Amino acid sequence: MSVSPLAKDDAPVRTKPGYALLDDPRVLGWGSIVLVLVVWELAARLFNVSALYLPRPSQIVVALVTLFGSGGLAYDLGVTLWRIFAGFAIALVSGTLLGLWIATSFRARAVADMFIAALYPLPKITLIPLLIIWLGTGGPFMLTISFLGAIFPIVINTVLGVSQCDPGLVLAARDLGAKPQQIMRRVLLPSAIPSIFAGVRLGLGVSIILVVAAEMVVGKAGLGARLYLAGQILETEQVFAILIVLAMLGIIVTKVQDAVDAALGNWRVD
Amino acid sequence: MPAVAIEFDDIGLTFAPASTAPTTALEAVSCGFEPGRVTALIGPSGCGKSTLLQIARGFLEPTRGTLRFLERANGKATARPAMSTVWQAFNLFPWLTVIDNVAFGLDLAGVTKSDRDARARRAIAAVDLNGFEDRYPRQLSGGMRQRVGLARALVMEPEVLLLDEPFGALDAQTRLVLQEQLARLVETSGTTAILVTHSIEEAILLADTILVMTARPGRIAAHIEVDLPRPRSMATTRDPGFSALFDRIYALLRDEVMRAMVGGQGGVQ
Repeated sequence: MSVSPLAKDDAPVRTKPGYALLDDPRVLGWGSIVLVLVVWELAARLFNVSALYLPRPSQIVVALVTLFGSGGLAYDLGVTLWRIFAGFAIALVSGTLLGLWIATSFRARAVADMFIAALYPLPKITLIPLLIIWLGTGGPFMLTISFLGAIFPIVINTVLGVSQCDPGLVLAARDLGAKPQQIMRRVLLPSAIPSIFAGVRLGLGVSIILVVAAEMVVGKAGLGARLYLAGQILETEQVFAILIVLAMLGIIVTKVQDAVDAALGNWRVD
Repeated sequence: MPAVAIEFDDIGLTFAPASTAPTTALEAVSCGFEPGRVTALIGPSGCGKSTLLQIARGFLEPTRGTLRFLERANGKATARPAMSTVWQAFNLFPWLTVIDNVAFGLDLAGVTKSDRDARARRAIAAVDLNGFEDRYPRQLSGGMRQRVGLARALVMEPEVLLLDEPFGALDAQTRLVLQEQLARLVETSGTTAILVTHSIEEAILLADTILVMTARPGRIAAHIEVDLPRPRSMATTRDPGFSALFDRIYALLRDEVMRAMVGGQGGVQ
């Protein structure tokens, strides 16, 4: 991560090892999580809080191990991941192509502007009832809901990225003999990649939310369905365990995106 | 390589956007560009020098007049010769390394990987950038970026090299070094070149012929032959012939720049 804008450039370099440890963002990040868990565990034991209301971290770990061991949670995780990423992948490919087309065609843009203005601000979660009427509650429904979460940010950011391409680069490519198709593939698309990736970040986040929410409403399998079921039968340890799985998923997705972002540094013009 | 001359006959260009009054960028320009020679176009800002280059390249259609390409041997009309441009803003692809930028045009033309790598490496060596093949443009200084721009144009082996204020974005010292380097390259390659520039010094150092343009709408005000000996370098600027040419062009340009300023069009130099 980057240096805080408030960091002092002229701050003296600390040499005591104890302090140096506290200057490492990873130590601070993980350390604070461990601290919260320890305080939670101790406080729950000290005040004898009911596990029905707030289970202790140690009980949650036991529930987590049991769920993965004999409870089949790995299967539910797999189902949820498949729904999220299959719909998202379709949105990524079609959204990028659609965005390229909208950005380079005057007519496509005029038409798409109206549809995007109407549909983008609509909370996609409100489409769940309609989609159930049309598609039922099976695989096609789940793919569609994930697709709908990701497609708008990806299209909008692709259009933005392509529109902001330096016209000098297009001229240079034409000068070197590029045909319109080659300009699209070799200049407009790569120059839009940082922007497309910003859309991917937004879109994947919405896809995750929508799939889990849809599973809570109608799912028979998947993390959302398990979460809802555990809540209904007051298995609070299981609720927490599934929330932890979702949080870990969030951390992994965010860290992978950070890594991709860093690798895209060469794409950026300065 | 067949020698091809470029002839502008009464070329004019008027932009007529729907929303505003039409602007005449060029008015009745007639001039020629001889094969194997370097011609400099110099004039006040906004006089249409770069527009002229874009018309020669085929990126802009003139609204009047005729553009001809003539074979030197028999004076017959022929197709547009191969051209490559070096841009003021460099226009390098930031996501490609130096070697991939240089090889971009060859790749588009379907040249095999090993062949285009070898040719790109030769072009990179010609502009003294050996060892920088795998850097990205943002890791290079302005002068180095423009040398990549030059290599990217030269690797296409153009019959006509178009130089659109190639050193306009560089600092004064870098400019001097690159001007000498470019002078060497054009002297040895014998390619036809059209150089658009604001710098009188640059025009005299590099060109065989200098066309002085008027303020907008642009016309050719004077056609000046540079008969200073080659190879030229910074030492050439101390030649009495250089001073005489410089003064003559400066006098012509000064009037035009004043006219451009009073007319409210074009920028202050």
